[in-house]
Amino acid sequence: MKKYKSITILTILGIILILGTVFAFVSLDKGELGLYNYKAFPKAISLGLDLSGGVYAVYDIDTEQESYAEMTQDEKTAAIEGTRAAMETLLFNKGYTEALVTVSGETIRVEIPDVDDPEKVFELIGDPAELEFKEYVDGKNDKSLDDQTGSVKLSGKLTGDDVAKAGVQYDTDSQYYVVALEFTADGTKKFATATQALTGKQLAIYINDSLVIAPTVNEAITTGRASISGNYTYDDAYALAVKITAGSFPLRLKMSQCSTISATLGVNAIKAGVIAGIAGVLLIMAYLIVLYRLLGVGAAISLWWYTLTFLFFLAVFPWVQLTLSGIAGVLLAIGMAVDANVIIFERIKEEYAMGKTIRTATSTGFRRSLGAIIDGNVTTIIGAVVLIILGTSTLKSFGITLLIGIVMSLISSLLMTRLTVACIQAFTREENAPLYNLFREEGVARVDVEEVSEKEGD
Amino acid sequence: MAKKFKVEDLIKFPIAKNIKYWIIAPLAIIILAGIMFGVYAGVYKDAGKGMNIGIDFAGGSLATVALGDSVLTDATYSEYESLIRDAIESNENAEKVAAYAVSDEYAALYGKKLEGITATIAKAHITYSQTSGSGEEYAIVFKYDNVSKSYDSDNTLSTYRNEVIKQSIANALKEKFPDTDIDELQSMITYENIGATASAELIKTALICLAVSLALILVYIIIRFEIWSGLAAVIALIHDVAILIAMTIICHIQVNSAFVAAIITIVSYSINNTIVIFDRVRENLRNERKLNAKFDTAVILDNSVKHTLLRSINSTVTTMIPIVIFAIFGSSTVNEFALPVIFGLIAGFYSSMFISPSLYYVMSQAWEKHKANKTKIKTEAAAKPKYVGAKQ
Repeated sequence: MKKYKSITILTILGIILILGTVFAFVSLDKGELGLYNYKAFPKAISLGLDLSGGVYAVYDIDTEQESYAEMTQDEKTAAIEGTRAAMETLLFNKGYTEALVTVSGETIRVEIPDVDDPEKVFELIGDPAELEFKEYVDGKNDKSLDDQTGSVKLSGKLTGDDVAKAGVQYDTDSQYYVVALEFTADGTKKFATATQALTGKQLAIYINDSLVIAPTVNEAITTGRASISGNYTYDDAYALAVKITAGSFPLRLKMSQCSTISATLGVNAIKAGVIAGIAGVLLIMAYLIVLYRLLGVGAAISLWWYTLTFLFFLAVFPWVQLTLSGIAGVLLAIGMAVDANVIIFERIKEEYAMGKTIRTATSTGFRRSLGAIIDGNVTTIIGAVVLIILGTSTLKSFGITLLIGIVMSLISSLLMTRLTVACIQAFTREENAPLYNLFREEGVARVDVEEVSEKEGD
Repeated sequence: MAKKFKVEDLIKFPIAKNIKYWIIAPLAIIILAGIMFGVYAGVYKDAGKGMNIGIDFAGGSLATVALGDSVLTDATYSEYESLIRDAIESNENAEKVAAYAVSDEYAALYGKKLEGITATIAKAHITYSQTSGSGEEYAIVFKYDNVSKSYDSDNTLSTYRNEVIKQSIANALKEKFPDTDIDELQSMITYENIGATASAELIKTALICLAVSLALILVYIIIRFEIWSGLAAVIALIHDVAILIAMTIICHIQVNSAFVAAIITIVSYSINNTIVIFDRVRENLRNERKLNAKFDTAVILDNSVKHTLLRSINSTVTTMIPIVIFAIFGSSTVNEFALPVIFGLIAGFYSSMFISPSLYYVMSQAWEKHKANKTKIKTEAAAKPKYVGAKQ
């Protein structure tokens, strides 16, 4: 690399890193710039219950509900667990991966992190209630679908139990959001019969016996998948989907308490994490520079780049909610990120010791360590992906953090370090090997036939 | 020039051939963990207490003391927190509860006395404290364990203890607010039983994830390396987790849901070390095979470990730096996570250096021997004189 090119690259990189650092760690209030509030990355990272607190709500199961009273003990346990799981899924999909839904006897306790308004609980999980589809007559005398005087004559009501899933989808044709419904096997049959009989008429949705919405049936829907459209914005569609999902919980619940809670670990853990992060990064940088001198400087620059990008992605990814273990995972990832560089640099030292020039030793070092680095990281990626696919909420969130960390560290150690080292080497000459802490093995002379040594052993 | 010091000179002993020495330390730790498990179980007279299972898994109780924001301010928070904490964890309460368990009163209510409960068993341990609500409802919340289920399966004793705790909190507060009626103080305190937040489901899912990850990692290593590297690496990984769990038992560290994360962290990180060494083994073996047909696998393994030693040390150091600082500055709950991870990292360093290369050696040699025997039997069989039908 030519010197002027190296200077250009280093300058651009320097500017990016300095700007990145400012954006990463400085928060701006509305007043200062007049635009909008800007949050520093670490502040923008969503935190779990142990670190940030949130809100909690306690729901009592409506034991007077007919269907519940008739259940056997096992069925009750299953229905409670089903409701718990449904609530957890609902919260997970909204990005609250660290929310806790706990069952104790006949109450369900929900704790939602990173929310400071108890009212938000209603928005997030709705009011777990009874949902029923009815034939629309005039909004007051609507008929249950098993009502023999109506135009649909099912053997049972079409209720929330028949809904498997309600979610939000974007409709590219209308450019609006719609509520997508999915029915259970039983529900599919009932819904098909109902929509056949009511094509062109309205099928109302009732929650706790009050009318929510009465969409017109366009056609008979036999696939068990339907969508409700109505020129909705995302928020409207989401609110409706939440209502329907809450209505599809197996049990009817009554909220008995709802309030805010503080973090269980909070300030101390965050402070320890920040100290460990900053001190850790600085110590590792110092360690690398002492061990590998100029090579270490290259690695230190890319470690800084890694820290910035890692924090950025943690702040923008919706499924990341850092908990105590998340913080420790991030800290470990910082340490791990330099691992690849250590492997590469050790290799460069060996190659140089055996007689290669600095430049050849560097490129051979990078190339020959690639196998070990890729293999080591693929195994970690396997672990992360398994957690994301098979894990439940908190495990999944951990897997996502891990995966972001590995991918960013690979980019930083393989590409970024290579660039910084190449730039630095543009300023040094062959005699400057000690600046890289590179030494020949005793009795080994410089080998100039590089083509041969380049190809051997691959 | 004096001979330059090299880290690999530190290892002057053969590694691959000495599996018998390398398994001593891990075995000792695991046996010690077994003994400590028994000791703790004996102290608490409960097999389940051999491991210090926290309320995330076991469930517990939650006491809310609604002092209101006029009393509870940033300035007074820690004062009230420790006042109530002491009231909850007091030995007096524990003795009272232990006595109640064997009282006639208890027997009259629940049919029989609960024998064997000592004050040690009946004592409450707070895991978390936090605040809740705002305004008049602004409260400190304490989460603490229940009396062990193996004595108190239906929580009758825990419920009684919660009542005792309520009284003692009220009494402690009465000293602070002598003018306030004790009934009014009591009305500020509520308690409830809470279930396990980390359900059996979490452990089940975590185990499934572990098993699937291990299987996939094994397959990947077998494809990229060979079967013996794969098996050795996965066994080393299991070793790391076993040591992590053993050390957690020995130090009686409380196990909450973060512990599951600690294990998963170690599994995903510690495989790296082993892979780097096996990568070097793979490369050295390839070169050796080209140069001479007769080579000593043990020497190649040893050299590979030595060549990567500096890297192994540096990587372990850089990984340890932040997590150790975290443990030093963090509270006890932080250490519930950080300490197991540190144990796991050390175990990972050890296993990648000693266990996996020597395991690889033992397994691959056994296989070679088996193959050689088979060929020998075949050649011997072929050398025996026999009649063969003539071809037409």
